[in-house]
Amino acid sequence: MLNFDWLSGISQETAKMVFFSLYIFIGLLVLIIPNEYIFQGVAKEERFWYKNLKLWALTVLGILATIYF
Amino acid sequence: MLTGIDYFVVISYILGMLLLGLYFKKFVNSSEDYFLGGKSLPFWAIGMSIVVSDIGALDFVGVSGQAYRYGVSVGNFDWVGSVPAMILAAFIFIPYFWRGGMYTIPEYLGRRYNRSVRTIASVTWILFFALDLGVLFWASAVLLNVLMGWPIWISILSTAGVVGLYTYFGGITAVIMTDVVQMIIMFTGGFALVFLSLDAVGGWDNMVEKISTMGPEYRNHFDIIQPADTTSPFPWTGILFGLTFVMANAYMIGNQSIVQRCLTAKNEWHAKASMIFGSALKMFIPILVLFPGLMALVVHPGLEDGDQALPLMIKSILPPGLVGLMFAAFFAGLMSSVDSLLNSTATLFTKDIYEPFFKKNASDKHYLKVGQITTLVLLIIGVITSPISSDFPGIYVAIQTFMSYFQGPLFAILLLGIFWKGSTQWGGLLALVIGIGFAIFLNVSKDSFFTIEDPFLYISWWSFILSFIVNILISLMTERHTDLALQGLVFNAKIFTKNEKI
Repeated sequence: MLNFDWLSGISQETAKMVFFSLYIFIGLLVLIIPNEYIFQGVAKEERFWYKNLKLWALTVLGILATIYF
Repeated sequence: MLTGIDYFVVISYILGMLLLGLYFKKFVNSSEDYFLGGKSLPFWAIGMSIVVSDIGALDFVGVSGQAYRYGVSVGNFDWVGSVPAMILAAFIFIPYFWRGGMYTIPEYLGRRYNRSVRTIASVTWILFFALDLGVLFWASAVLLNVLMGWPIWISILSTAGVVGLYTYFGGITAVIMTDVVQMIIMFTGGFALVFLSLDAVGGWDNMVEKISTMGPEYRNHFDIIQPADTTSPFPWTGILFGLTFVMANAYMIGNQSIVQRCLTAKNEWHAKASMIFGSALKMFIPILVLFPGLMALVVHPGLEDGDQALPLMIKSILPPGLVGLMFAAFFAGLMSSVDSLLNSTATLFTKDIYEPFFKKNASDKHYLKVGQITTLVLLIIGVITSPISSDFPGIYVAIQTFMSYFQGPLFAILLLGIFWKGSTQWGGLLALVIGIGFAIFLNVSKDSFFTIEDPFLYISWWSFILSFIVNILISLMTERHTDLALQGLVFNAKIFTKNEKI
């Protein structure tokens, strides 16, 4: 039970899909965050697209998914 | 083994760090300057500092050794074991701590639960950091001695002298800005080794082909997801439940040395951006420390001790000059770890122990002086106790393992504290104490419950689950805090729409 034996029947490929699902879930969470919150602390006239942290986070998640060998 | 040009590189690096660190002395005029850098630092410096302070000289050798034995699955710790947690921390937890004007994580726990929870969390971190300091000094110095023939006491005293001076005078600003240079040195040395090693093994495809045909024990060497029934310490179940869900989050939102850096940001955007930028840099760490271990399998097959992999690669692959740069990278790893421990412990002691228990309402200059004296005292204790650790082989791993047992319960009370108004002071306190006790029990009797080599990932998961349940059950039976008392301490969707001052 504590050793997770009950999950030993799941193949490595299926397990990999679990990890991909996690990345997609986090990506969706990031997507629904309002821009107002993302740009907190940045003056309105300085809110350029490259300062959008959603874009940063989704790029990082995309690279991570690509790595997941 | 070091040539004249190598000595020149190393000594230039050490002197450069000292001068750079002391330059920031002029920016320290208050305790906020000392502990939080006057809340003026940019995201890129904080992000680089988070990454470099998380990897020491010992990790370089240890992770390469594990890659030699277990393959790419070791990379999970810096990939899935860091990136998702850092993104969640950036968008949910860090803004809370930053807006709250907090100095320490235990300070949040004290406001949310009670003083006992704050004190237990703070004392645990202080003990861990203080014990770690002496052991880190000794183990790293022994490593540098074995690698480069550099005398042990010269390593300890030069590191203590340089880091002690700039941390004492420059506070966290000096720590973070020297970390920036240390990260550049570390990445330059590490990538030089990777590219030259890759050339030596005839390219990536050639390396994969050679390792894959070495025998059945290497068939999973390039699988990042290991089977659930593997005997290695990294089954996918442990990586998902223990590492990704618990330890990674506990580390990124509960570790004082990580969070304190984000609190130095000049505004909330920089605080969030520092974590995301750090997560991007984090993804390169396995390339630096894991790949040389894999390549050593081709160049030096059949090593009894995997920890010899990286030193042998440095000796056989790098030319003079680059050996010095790699040595400077090891020094950078040691210095960035030591300065983090010193500054974080000084902050925890001053804010969570000294101020509430010894001298309330003193002047700001007084707390600044206490922080500086604590830094100095810790450094002296670290240097004096460092040789003692040689009498206890394996103590470094033992301290790290004990700390991993604290992570599950800590994350449980942080998570419920932020997301559930009903979590009470007794729920938090008992969840923390019972959770740590359960983790220790599982560790003592691990052979009865677990079949893998080192079940620390499973232990952190199950201690988290028990703490979570205990917190809920006890909270349902005890008196809740009033809504007024919880204002700004519990998650509120308004944080996404208004710049609420906590």
